[in-house]
Amino acid sequence: MKTNTKILTSEFEYLECPTLAEALNCLSKYNGKAKILAGGTDLLIKMKSGLLQCQYLIFVKKIEALNYLISDKKTLRIGPMINLRSIEKNEQVKAYYSALFEAVRSMAATSVKNMATIGGNLCNGSPAADTAPPLLVYGATLKLSSMRGDRIVPVEEFFLGPSQTVLESDELLTEICLPDLGDQVGSSFLKLGRVSADIAKINVAVCLNRNGKTVGNCRIAFGSVAPTPIRIPEAEEILKGQEMSDELIVKAAKAAAGLIKPITDKRSTNSYRQQVSKVILEEGIRSAWQRAGGEL
Amino acid sequence: MDFQVIGKVLPRKDGIAKVCGKEPFASDIVVPHMLYAVTLRSEHAHAEIIKIDTSEAESMGAVCITPTEVPDFTYNERTVSIPEKTFCDRKVLPRRVRHVGEAIAAVAAETEELAFRAMQAIKVEYNVLPSVLDPEEAMQPEAASLYDEILLGKQQLKVKNNVACERNIVIGDPEAGFAAADYIVERDYDLPRIYHHQMETKTVVCQPEANGGITIWTTTQTIHNVRQLLGQIFELPLSKINVKKLSIGGSFGSSIQMNSMIPICVALALKARCPVKLVSSREDDIHDHVKFPARIKLKVGVTKDAKIVAADMRVLVDIGAHQINSYPLLGCMSGWYASLYKWQDFRFDGTAVYTNKVPGCAMQGYGNPEVNFAVESHMDVIANECGFDPIEFRLKNYVGIGDEFWGQGPTVKSIIKSCGVEEMLTVGAEKIGWSERRSSQAKTGRYRKGVGIARGFHTSGTGGPKPGEVIDYSSATIKINEDGTVDVLSPVMDLGGGTGEATVKVVAELLKVPYDKVELAIVDTRTTGYDVNTHATRGVYCGCGAALHVAKQVKIKLLEFASRILEENPDDLDLSYEPEDNKTIIHVKRFKQKQISIGEVAKLAQIYSWGTIAVSDSYRQRNCPPCFVAHFIEVEVDTWTGIVKVPRAILLADSGTPINPDMLEGQLIGSLSRGLGYAAYESTENDLETGKLLCGGFITDNKIPTSCEMPLMDNIQVYFAHTYEPTGPFGAKGIGEAALNSVAAAYANAIYNAIGIRFYQTPITPERILQALEGGASVEN
Amino acid sequence: MEKRLIKVTINGKLRELFVKSNDLLLNVLRNDLNLMGTKYGCGIGECGACTVLLDGQTVLACLILAVTVDGQEITTIEGMGDPVQLHPLQESFIEHGAVQCGFCTPGMLLAGEALLKENPNPSEEEIREYLRGNLCRCTGYAAIVKAIKSEAKSQSADPGTLSE
Repeated sequence: MKTNTKILTSEFEYLECPTLAEALNCLSKYNGKAKILAGGTDLLIKMKSGLLQCQYLIFVKKIEALNYLISDKKTLRIGPMINLRSIEKNEQVKAYYSALFEAVRSMAATSVKNMATIGGNLCNGSPAADTAPPLLVYGATLKLSSMRGDRIVPVEEFFLGPSQTVLESDELLTEICLPDLGDQVGSSFLKLGRVSADIAKINVAVCLNRNGKTVGNCRIAFGSVAPTPIRIPEAEEILKGQEMSDELIVKAAKAAAGLIKPITDKRSTNSYRQQVSKVILEEGIRSAWQRAGGEL
Repeated sequence: MDFQVIGKVLPRKDGIAKVCGKEPFASDIVVPHMLYAVTLRSEHAHAEIIKIDTSEAESMGAVCITPTEVPDFTYNERTVSIPEKTFCDRKVLPRRVRHVGEAIAAVAAETEELAFRAMQAIKVEYNVLPSVLDPEEAMQPEAASLYDEILLGKQQLKVKNNVACERNIVIGDPEAGFAAADYIVERDYDLPRIYHHQMETKTVVCQPEANGGITIWTTTQTIHNVRQLLGQIFELPLSKINVKKLSIGGSFGSSIQMNSMIPICVALALKARCPVKLVSSREDDIHDHVKFPARIKLKVGVTKDAKIVAADMRVLVDIGAHQINSYPLLGCMSGWYASLYKWQDFRFDGTAVYTNKVPGCAMQGYGNPEVNFAVESHMDVIANECGFDPIEFRLKNYVGIGDEFWGQGPTVKSIIKSCGVEEMLTVGAEKIGWSERRSSQAKTGRYRKGVGIARGFHTSGTGGPKPGEVIDYSSATIKINEDGTVDVLSPVMDLGGGTGEATVKVVAELLKVPYDKVELAIVDTRTTGYDVNTHATRGVYCGCGAALHVAKQVKIKLLEFASRILEENPDDLDLSYEPEDNKTIIHVKRFKQKQISIGEVAKLAQIYSWGTIAVSDSYRQRNCPPCFVAHFIEVEVDTWTGIVKVPRAILLADSGTPINPDMLEGQLIGSLSRGLGYAAYESTENDLETGKLLCGGFITDNKIPTSCEMPLMDNIQVYFAHTYEPTGPFGAKGIGEAALNSVAAAYANAIYNAIGIRFYQTPITPERILQALEGGASVEN
Repeated sequence: MEKRLIKVTINGKLRELFVKSNDLLLNVLRNDLNLMGTKYGCGIGECGACTVLLDGQTVLACLILAVTVDGQEITTIEGMGDPVQLHPLQESFIEHGAVQCGFCTPGMLLAGEALLKENPNPSEEEIREYLRGNLCRCTGYAAIVKAIKSEAKSQSADPGTLSE
């Protein structure tokens, strides 16, 4: 019982970095002693509840060069400092990236989304992060930058465990890139919480391409069922190259439900998560298929 | 009845200040040179404190208090019962902690940050004791005991097997009743601990005064009980303690007592010799109080013609670490049970048990939602098993007009003189389409709808023909100003429900003064007479009852002064409101030409040095009339995910004359949201190993319904029964707690109607529903 | 800890403030500027009692470091309207019985105001979704939703705001 959420009790040096170069320089200089502050909606809670301490706090939200959403031809590039509300309101995202749109729409309260950034949501490393499953099914890549240079990491390789990512202590996430999703594509995201605006008990994203009546490429990802958001390749394989049908959807969803090993925690039970994973995945596949122009 | 202001929708008196963010709450009070305080709270569920070392904290410039530096006084923070029925077990700071989160020391410093760091520097040496966290285990002889002795009034009382108190009541011969029954139905029900979740966390500001006294601003439902208990603890004359009346950011029972943080803050302020402000963090607050949980065994005997002949209820309440009036709680629970249906011969056995958990306290209903869930679920179970229509079965057996009502357990009773039960059940059934209701067997598919009914009530106050174990009276002072406006000084706390507006309306109605010319004065314990508490749904019935009693005397005084001016007999005069001039006149009855305004009377009384037209008096209601409610709730269950939506709800209330119809509606809809929380979402559970709260004190994991969990506006229908309470101010009764009591049972009954599964425990979560659907629970019918 | 100068426009007035790096915006508003309408409810962004507008968008003052708002514009409930000249939404709240204890009211009003700026004629579902982070334990939300909906209607019915 040694917290007080009325105040921020930890002391730190505040470093405001209006440019990327300054931010990377600070990260390099205070390597290991600094934390990155973006929207603050996860970081400040962790600091208030005594889960995190730091000597230096590097404020990066005002780096204009990292606050963008650009759709060129068929790819989408997202600056990690863009807030979730701006993503939710973006027409391009709403029209072509349904899973991402539905994910941000389901998240938190409006005010939190005005503050929180997509970069923060990913780098916080929560297994329940709602933006992660959509990015996993879109095959997104992340650009991680430091004074040492840039590297590109597929989202799939980014998460290591609860609150753990491959991000080195001197690195900053500087771009999220969604590749060309191909033709006849459809995606969806579903989530169950305790009340609206909750952290997910479980969430799922699906993205697939349609070749006439058969499924082309297909990706499925769950959140809140493992230490990291995860893809379910076995279920994807069941769908790929097959003629779409209700039976096929049920088969894939059943297989996925059999593969995940969720735990019981404050938000739900392992058996509930296992049972509903099937239900939300079925719905997810169905709606992605329909969005890809398919019929059922 | 044709009223001038009663029943009219008028802007609340504090509305403008509240929408502008200018209404001061206790947490907004700032006093020059004040220090900020924080409390050090126990990490252990049960431990003796060997040593507390505050030296480092003090070297940082902080003022600290520990158990040895505060008055060694044993108290019960809730003082509404007569002293000889008050069980006391609490200290200002204990030498033995009995739940995780119990305050053991406190620190004040110039800033909250410094106070917090100083608190962290305090070193506590504990001797950790075995703890008990389950109420049934707690009663086993080998269980660790929380107390050896407590006080009943001033008498020492040994505590055996952690039993805090008991109440056993037998009316008639239940065994003979059961022997005569054609059916006997028995079930167990389990209601959880939930957190009040009032929006403003508990707060206190204490300013030591130059005369040796103290001034207090705090979150409370009772300024006078705070003052009196502080007087006892600190041995201060009451004339030197002044508690200010303020708006409170919601309460629902959470500040029904003198909160335990108040004497801590006073002790700090007295030691520091300067003002101290102590605002609970949300995590402190959630470790301070929960709603009383209950495990209820209910057995009811019925004849073939749907007549109830016997009942037996056993209640086990896990009160946690302290008694915050658990003895009257058990009495009230017996009363809520006794007054729902005519059981004929019945038994009630109630036991309150100590465990090493956050103490339970009153929360909207004081045991009534718990009892109501059991009884109203049970009525449905019986109706189903015996083939009765649930509504007809209820109408055949309910306690109604002319029957005896137990307003506050076995010692506070009165005869019911107004009752809208039949009207509400008939209207509600029609509105929800009860006759088209199909059984769950007829329903298939993923989404299944169901309709449920439950009815309930709460008392209006704790008055009665004879004083019982509970103190009940209220006071008011009313003054006619020299321009004809009126000041009302009322000690009654308005928790947001509109008691203040109701008081103004009652005074305005009686004195025929327009609403905008009556104001509620800013008052405190010094400027008001005693009022016991805004509890027991008594604000309107008892609080306004007192205001009406005083207003009548003011009227007599007004007419008397006017009679001197008009040279008429007072009996020949009357009051009237003149809408054209928006003023109140006194005139000769049936001859309005001879008149004078009340402002002129007050002004002349001043000029002639007759004195101010003002009266101050107290009043006790001699009844405790039930305000009845009924809830018809429709649910839609997603049988694949267990998620339940509420497409429709019909909320019916018999509150007598509605004084503030908009606020009455607000109370009913607000209670629907809290009731749905109780039914479907909320549970504040402990880790059964460590005794820590599973949510850790953070509301992230203690969800309450948001705007999205409510039915759409147009799908919530509110209906007021057409009744008039002959003993209430202008026919009014209460509503506050009643509005909640039958929500959870109506919800559970609706779920049963949708999917054929009976839930005996709340919250009915998607997890529980899915588990039951997968075959975990027995499916009836 | 060292204090740092920030320049912030609060309710239309430019302020120069010295703040510590760990000062929360909530406490600067309440303790330094005496703007008590912004409330502490939970401290972890779950209840909405501390809602303020930052450059016109709703944010939670309990999760914002005051140093980070340098150069920005903040509106608190005190800047929305005052007793002499209430904002129409404030009037609507009073009229529709949307105020009970009043503790969530400032946050609700600012959220409602931000919503109506963004979407002048929201559906009931849109209002509810927008308010889902502002908890109210008293009203059951219906009167609040009604007050916002009615204000939206009266705004859109105002001939002055109609355009071709």
